[in-house]
Amino acid sequence: MRVLKITAMAALLLMAASVAFAGPTYDRVMSTKVVKAGISNQGIPFGFIDDKNEWVGFDVDMATEIAKRLDAKLEKVVVNNNTRISFVQTNPPKVDMVLSNMTHKRVRDEKIDFSITYFFDGQKFLAKKGAVKDVKDLANMKIGSMQGTTSIVNATAYLKELGNPNPKVTGYDGEVAMFEALRSGRVQAISTDSTILLGYAAKVPGQFELVGDFISDEPYGVGLPQDDSAWRDAVNFAIQDIWNDGTYLKIYDKWFGPDSKYPFPLTSKIEMWP
Amino acid sequence: MFKRFFKHVWVQNLTLLAMVGLVYYYFAYHFEFKYDFDWAVFFVEGQYGHMGRLMIDGLNTTLSLTFYSAAIALVMGTVFGLARLSKFKPVYWLATCYVELFRNTPLLIQLFFWNFALPYAFPEEIRFKLFDLNFEYWVSVFGCGFFTGAFMAEIIRAGIQSIPKGLLEASYSSGLTFPQTLRKVVLPLAFREIIPPLGSEFLNNMKNTSLAMTIGVTELFWSMQEVLSLTYRTFEAFIAATAIYLLLSLIIAAIMNIVNEKLKIMPSDKTTGLRKIADVIFKPFGFMAGCLEYIFWYFRRSPEKKTVSPLARLCKDCFKWTVTASKALFLACLAYLLYKLGMALAGFNYEIIRANLPALLVWRFPSGDETEFFMGLGGLAGSLLMAVISISGSFLVGLVVGMGRTAKSHAIRIPCTMYIELVRGIPCILVILWFFQVVLQFVFKLEIHAFWAGTIALTFFFGAYIAETVRGGIQNIPPGQVEAAKASGLTYFQTMRKIILPQALKQMLPALVGMFIAAFKDTSLVYIIGVMDLTRAAYAVNNRTMIYPFEIYTTVLVLYFIFSYVMSLYTKRLERKLSPEQVRIEM
Repeated sequence: MRVLKITAMAALLLMAASVAFAGPTYDRVMSTKVVKAGISNQGIPFGFIDDKNEWVGFDVDMATEIAKRLDAKLEKVVVNNNTRISFVQTNPPKVDMVLSNMTHKRVRDEKIDFSITYFFDGQKFLAKKGAVKDVKDLANMKIGSMQGTTSIVNATAYLKELGNPNPKVTGYDGEVAMFEALRSGRVQAISTDSTILLGYAAKVPGQFELVGDFISDEPYGVGLPQDDSAWRDAVNFAIQDIWNDGTYLKIYDKWFGPDSKYPFPLTSKIEMWP
Repeated sequence: MFKRFFKHVWVQNLTLLAMVGLVYYYFAYHFEFKYDFDWAVFFVEGQYGHMGRLMIDGLNTTLSLTFYSAAIALVMGTVFGLARLSKFKPVYWLATCYVELFRNTPLLIQLFFWNFALPYAFPEEIRFKLFDLNFEYWVSVFGCGFFTGAFMAEIIRAGIQSIPKGLLEASYSSGLTFPQTLRKVVLPLAFREIIPPLGSEFLNNMKNTSLAMTIGVTELFWSMQEVLSLTYRTFEAFIAATAIYLLLSLIIAAIMNIVNEKLKIMPSDKTTGLRKIADVIFKPFGFMAGCLEYIFWYFRRSPEKKTVSPLARLCKDCFKWTVTASKALFLACLAYLLYKLGMALAGFNYEIIRANLPALLVWRFPSGDETEFFMGLGGLAGSLLMAVISISGSFLVGLVVGMGRTAKSHAIRIPCTMYIELVRGIPCILVILWFFQVVLQFVFKLEIHAFWAGTIALTFFFGAYIAETVRGGIQNIPPGQVEAAKASGLTYFQTMRKIILPQALKQMLPALVGMFIAAFKDTSLVYIIGVMDLTRAAYAVNNRTMIYPFEIYTTVLVLYFIFSYVMSLYTKRLERKLSPEQVRIEM
């Protein structure tokens, strides 16, 4: 009979685990006062590990600010290019929002929701100084990009447009591996969002340069769980408040201002609702 | 009453059916899945290309990777396995270094080392030439090959050494020459010992090729991740990749089974069906061996010939000189290698190592903030902690499941067998992803830190392996003891607890410590889910320092090596304690 008892206990435990609370994100964040944010730790300067082994970056600062406006405690969770969508897609979501230099795309919007655009970027190529005289040269070069991003798709399409029907584009596992490939000479150029390229180029100043124009627009949005408009509003309002009281510019200048390591002029203004 | 009822086979089958039914009922009607499958994703041309074709391409690469690396592993294993038996000490030392170094460090770090650090050892022109030759692919072929080769070398050495000394003495004293002894006595017996474990190494090698993904080789696992991040079809991608890996494992296991069946000694009147199939398949090999045997017999040296012709003597002298010369050459090469290694080590930037060692050992402990795992613990300490927790957990799982697999009742045996075979058929890294992204999240709805997700996944993974060890231990106990225990009135659990398990566990102890080493090495795989273990910490540090990959990765290799090697020394001592008689055959 003891076997029966144990079985019953195990079954009960399983049931208890499965009926765990799974309410909408907004209610949960407001009641627990904890907001979980998925952030990359490889994307300089959006989220990375600095010299003191601290996890810092533009996205980290933005997430901290958003959490502050929501009066909640921030809990950072590591995501990468492969997990950043699925972590908000699950039910209940593994994280409440994702700030991981993620471009707002319509395909992605089918699976998750996005906030208003909080950063404007575009894709470019980075190569050794003087290696690329003309943009057309890129067509027959070995190009590195990242697996699990749209950068690799864009880069392949762009090279095809330049006239190479069978371009050599390798998808590396993350920013670090991609930049390493360029530095060691595995590939002649790498391509992804220009700010990340700047961030890595600044590691070895003077050796690399951006080439060509933007090949695509990359508006970054905060990834949010699908169909939770109260939560989406809260995040949108928080972002607009951050812009309104000047905090956005402060954070922006810290990472991308003229005196920073990765200067990148602010060209657009985020969407504002009166 | 309940117990006696359960002895009927139909009751057991019914229970099994009921269990399946319950699980099905739960998932079909009660479980809120909130996910609709769309398998069309693999069959239609999407916005980012044809996903099915992507998977097929990945499978292709995985297969070619597996073949090439298995061939390299076999060659390396044979050469170094024999070298481990050499009387010439420098050869023995080199082989030992190779085997211990490659077995006691994780494959992932080896691949990182070859891929990120090795190119900087060459001048720039050679480096660029190398990169033109599909460098990542060949790095992973050779990386996997060398790694598996080290394990094969040990298997081959152990197989040859397993032959009792008495047999050799008997064959020499009955007048057989050394080549004859090798051909007629040593090799046939050794093959029987070597081939079954060699087969499982081939299987492991196939699973290990999934790590090539981390350095950008577009194999199956890479394709799976690409599908995942381009279509966000988590379940479809996972299930497809798992099914393909399982299928590949099944095929390799089937080949292994046929070979093992051929090797079994069984009376000719009691052959099984499988044996007949194996016989047919191996007929050509038998024919070839027969021809070879005839040729050897034809060219045998006649025993009457006592005098040696001058030409033969010259040949013999030449041979002797060649051997001596090659020994000298080998020594010179070894000395040069050591000199190079010493120079490289002396040229290291030890400042960098010293500055980053604390991060590699404990990561940010104790100054991490409260959202991190245990005050920012990570690095080597995190890896060790994870290994200890997961191996303790999987010991319990393995004990229960291993006992379950030897049980007579269908209702217990079949689920246990399925669990073991399922887990052993898929790569560890895939198990980790399943747990992190699917099982804990969707099925159990648990919200836990990635560290714990990784620990649970490793527990689940190694549970299956330990279960197999437990089963082996239990089946080694002579059946007479079980009968005696039953006859003296002990129940099943009493027999297990008092008679079988104590003996079985004692036998298993070395294997369990070996499993701990494997678990410690495999903690490097949780890097993929972002746990700050030693590998991830090294990655972060290398990312920051950028120009010192040699220093960082060598340090990490040394750290992994020290702990694994100490454990493996301990295993050897245990083995010697448990079975004192061992002879080293020398060739």
